[in-house]
Amino acid sequence: MSDVDAPQPPHDAPLPAEAARPQPAPPEPARPIRSAQASPRENRLTRIARGEVVEPVVHAALAGQTHVLEVRELDLWYGMKQALFNISLGAPRGQVTALIGPSGCGKSTLLRCVNRMNDLVDSVRIRGDMLLNGDSIYAAGVDVIELRKRMGMVFQKPNPFPMSVFENVVYPLRVDGQRNRAVLDEVCEESLRSAALWEEVKDRLHESALSLSGGQQQRLCIARAIASDPEVLLLDEPCSALDPIATGKIEDLIGELRGGYSIIIVTHNMQQAARISDFTALLYLGRLVEYGPTADIFTRPQLSETQDYVTGRFG
Amino acid sequence: MAIPSRRKQTPLSVRLGDVAARWCITIGGIGTIVAVTAVFAFLAYVVWPLFLPAKTSSAKTSALPKLASPQLRLGLDEYGVIGWSLSEDEMLTIFRADTGELIQQRPLELAQSKTPAAAVKITAAAFANDSPGAALGLADGTVRLGQIGFRTSFVEAAKVPEALRMLPIGQRAILKDGIVERTRQGQFRLQQVDAKFHESIRVSTSPIVLIDQVAEGGKSIFCALTGDGKLLLELVTERKNQMTDEVVLKTRKIALPYKARDGQAPRHLLLTGQGENVLLAWESGDGVRIDARNLSAPAVAEELRLVLDPAAKLTALAPLIGRRTILVGDSLGQLTAWFGTRGTDVRTSDGIHLVAAHELPRSPAAVTALGASARSRLALAGYADGRTRLFNVTTESMMIESAATGQPVVEAAIGVKNDRLYAVSDNRLWSANFNPRYPEVSWSSLMLPVHYEDYPGAEHVWQSSGGTVDFEPKLGFRPLIFGTLKATCYSMLFGAPLALLAALYASEFMHPRWRARVKPTIELMASMPSVVLGFLAGNVLAQLVQGIVPQVITIFFTVPFVILLGAFVWQLIPQRRLVMWQRWRFPLIGLLAVPLGVLTGWGLGPAVERVFFAGDIMRWLDGQIGTGFGAWVLLLLPLSAVGTAICVGLFVNPWLARSAFSSRSRLAWVNLLKFILGSAVALLAAMGVSALLTHGGNWAFGGLDPRGTYVGTYVQRNALIVGFMMGFAIIPIIYTIAEDALSTVPDHLRSASLGAGATQWQTAVRIVVPAATSGLFSAVMVGLGRAVGETMIMLMATGNVPIMKWNIFDGFRTLSATIAVEMPEAPAGSMHYRVLFLAALTLFLMTFVVNTAAEIVRLRFRKRAHQM
Repeated sequence: MSDVDAPQPPHDAPLPAEAARPQPAPPEPARPIRSAQASPRENRLTRIARGEVVEPVVHAALAGQTHVLEVRELDLWYGMKQALFNISLGAPRGQVTALIGPSGCGKSTLLRCVNRMNDLVDSVRIRGDMLLNGDSIYAAGVDVIELRKRMGMVFQKPNPFPMSVFENVVYPLRVDGQRNRAVLDEVCEESLRSAALWEEVKDRLHESALSLSGGQQQRLCIARAIASDPEVLLLDEPCSALDPIATGKIEDLIGELRGGYSIIIVTHNMQQAARISDFTALLYLGRLVEYGPTADIFTRPQLSETQDYVTGRFG
Repeated sequence: MAIPSRRKQTPLSVRLGDVAARWCITIGGIGTIVAVTAVFAFLAYVVWPLFLPAKTSSAKTSALPKLASPQLRLGLDEYGVIGWSLSEDEMLTIFRADTGELIQQRPLELAQSKTPAAAVKITAAAFANDSPGAALGLADGTVRLGQIGFRTSFVEAAKVPEALRMLPIGQRAILKDGIVERTRQGQFRLQQVDAKFHESIRVSTSPIVLIDQVAEGGKSIFCALTGDGKLLLELVTERKNQMTDEVVLKTRKIALPYKARDGQAPRHLLLTGQGENVLLAWESGDGVRIDARNLSAPAVAEELRLVLDPAAKLTALAPLIGRRTILVGDSLGQLTAWFGTRGTDVRTSDGIHLVAAHELPRSPAAVTALGASARSRLALAGYADGRTRLFNVTTESMMIESAATGQPVVEAAIGVKNDRLYAVSDNRLWSANFNPRYPEVSWSSLMLPVHYEDYPGAEHVWQSSGGTVDFEPKLGFRPLIFGTLKATCYSMLFGAPLALLAALYASEFMHPRWRARVKPTIELMASMPSVVLGFLAGNVLAQLVQGIVPQVITIFFTVPFVILLGAFVWQLIPQRRLVMWQRWRFPLIGLLAVPLGVLTGWGLGPAVERVFFAGDIMRWLDGQIGTGFGAWVLLLLPLSAVGTAICVGLFVNPWLARSAFSSRSRLAWVNLLKFILGSAVALLAAMGVSALLTHGGNWAFGGLDPRGTYVGTYVQRNALIVGFMMGFAIIPIIYTIAEDALSTVPDHLRSASLGAGATQWQTAVRIVVPAATSGLFSAVMVGLGRAVGETMIMLMATGNVPIMKWNIFDGFRTLSATIAVEMPEAPAGSMHYRVLFLAALTLFLMTFVVNTAAEIVRLRFRKRAHQM
């Protein structure tokens, strides 16, 4: 009740918290990179499966990047079962970061930690922290709602609301209390254009979003996610429910959004990660295995296990 | 080498199971439809005869014996076997009714002397139509009271003359002074005329011109107009000497005011009711009603025009059963029914005004004879063209019409058992069996206002049975349907919002562990027998609330206020703690604010009563004291609160947003201030408008008082109490279904909304509720169905008064409670019984229509929210 009654600051006005926010912290000094040769001969994956602590390999190329999101030593439990182990990585600003790994490796869980969607799951416990442009995400007293307003999220399955296309796109503005029709119209068109959907739906803005095709629905969800001009865009296997043509369009779209938006994408499709991302992180059973520029990960990874995974020998 | 077949066969058991399951499901489904249809068909089957027209059969005409002197009256027995006719010379003619054959002619006998009285010419006679009582006025100024009736006896076969012993069953024959009929059981039933009169009572020395009498038990009253222009009322008490069996008549004589009109004596004299009034009617259509209730000072109550058309002459006048309704026929064929009504503008001595309440369908020929039924409100009118028509007076409908014969009808009567019609014209007796069926029931009498006897005007009244024979059944269905709707409305008003909000809270905000515990608990509420709820409502809650009405009313306003206040105060908590305590805000606000609101309301109640309700809410509600100001404030406060909230949202919030308060706590303080100021503004606005509406005497709308509409006289068992309890009864159903509907909204929609930065509340209101609309709608509709059909609570807590007032503090009577209350006292197959079945059918159709409409709406919602 109180959430509705309290006046929301206008969408484009700086948030009170944002005004006081310090400038992004300088990137941390790069961790020493371990080469495959430095690690013991025994397969890391086997050791991870045994529950041993295995240090991840992070490429030096990441050291020079400004990070929009930084994960710091994040552990996560579902009840008694630990799902993420000591994850530390940074997502470079304006770039596409892909999280890959076999099923159950925790890549979706990690993504959902970013906008605290895991809060909704009752049994989840988290240790460690994340920083969004330097602001803690998990510190006590963080307003989750304000936090989520700074991010956009697209889910595996297209999930447009059962409303018109227009209302779907401007939903983040609506919940901010934006009633100015001109602003809404402008944002709607802009977002739909950015999501490469404008030409297809401009004549049916006021028809039900459920009448769109699956691919269109997913692009609509992307349009909705970028309508509030987020600092980071989280894509959770956005193409897994789509056919190849729709997938292609989404991939093109991600390519176009690169630069304007910082994107973190979870995908189980390695070709997709190779095609669209700038950086790729490989997770295995809740641990980060290797993280580096996509070209390096796919062509000359530092770990043989990564080589095995990207060439399809396991996973 | 044969290739082994790869075809797989479905095992026989699976196929059999499949077939069996299909049949079971088909039979079950069809069986359900058949069962519902059968219930409907049975209800319709019982109700159907109510709307069948009256029926006549075996109409026949027979010649009456030719008699010399003019006949005064003709009577027929209940079997239509034997008849009598009384002539002016005190001769009683007894004849066979079916053939008109003369049986006997004899002079009137006197009870005491056993010898025929000296024949004196009868100059006036009055016969009751529901009893054998008769009063004869004689030419010598005396009056004879007595009775002419029938005596039924069974004769032993041995005593029957030889010639008649072999009488076939159903045949009749003359035996002595009566008629013997062989009944179906083979017995010989003898019908004889039984006429006995007392000694003459001397009234005057001049001949009696007009006479009428009413008798009850041993007392009778007669009124006589004498040839010398005196109107006398005589009270006669029968005293039986225990030793000699001699009956002594004690009389008391009262002179009534009387004046002849244009030198003419009145044509009709009538005692109404139990003799309270004397009505005189002239041929010109003028009438005088004399109030004779106070025998020491009788007075003319009012002068009347009993004929509506100035050109018409009054030709016939007769009382209906109970003698309170008087039928008047005129020369233009118009028949009107008159009875006394009370009204505020009536200036007669007894406060009653005789009005022409019913105008019956007009006939082209003059009314010449009238006969009333002794059992119901039927009347048979005979016309100058020989036609007879049977009317039901209450519904003003003509039920039966006989063919014209050309000769005027001189006498018309309805058999004592209400199964035979008689008319005499041209010395011929026309008779017909008839079945009136259910003349009281018609669509118009059920659904339209009807002017019932003693009522000031046409009204919707439900009073299906009464204690007296002359009771007029009042079958207005509208009050019952209204009561059902009122019950449903107030129940839903209390129950539906609470249940829906509770379901929303449970599904969207409550911890899943708690949700799992709360749901069975609430469902347990549904298992509470409604008779217990009814008992609690009618016998405990009603009495409890009656003493604390101002407090209860105040609580309705303080609880929401305190809850909102709590929400704003909550915002004052520093953000860090606010976030940590987020999960506890609803329980905390609920547990603290609700009791606090109740306490505040309790404390403020007496003050509110002093300020708004003139210090005594009961008398204030009744309209005895105070003005409509308080009621307006009550009604307008929610409106002004909503209006203020909208204004704040439109004008104040954008301004506050532009001011951009830097700190959150300051914003919270501003919001709290805004809420308190807004509340004050809302209260002041409501009071201002109320004052304007109440005291704005200079404007057209001044002096309005809402009392008597939605608020009014307080009755202990009222819609508020029923609303409370019904809320309790329907909350579990609505809650369960609504919670299920909300829980089935896919989580990915919630995730999408939360991911877009919406709060839980925004997600619930903007996404979850619209997606679950069809389920929420069904929940409300199931609750509605329960409220419409609920019986026990309605029976015990509504007071069962069939009135049509929206006043929340007044009772009502529902269809279901009516069926429950009245069915045990309605004999199977009777009109009452069938009307109650009609009530059941109405209830069935109401729920059917509501459910069908609900299903259509629900499907539309579902179609919209499909594809998710």
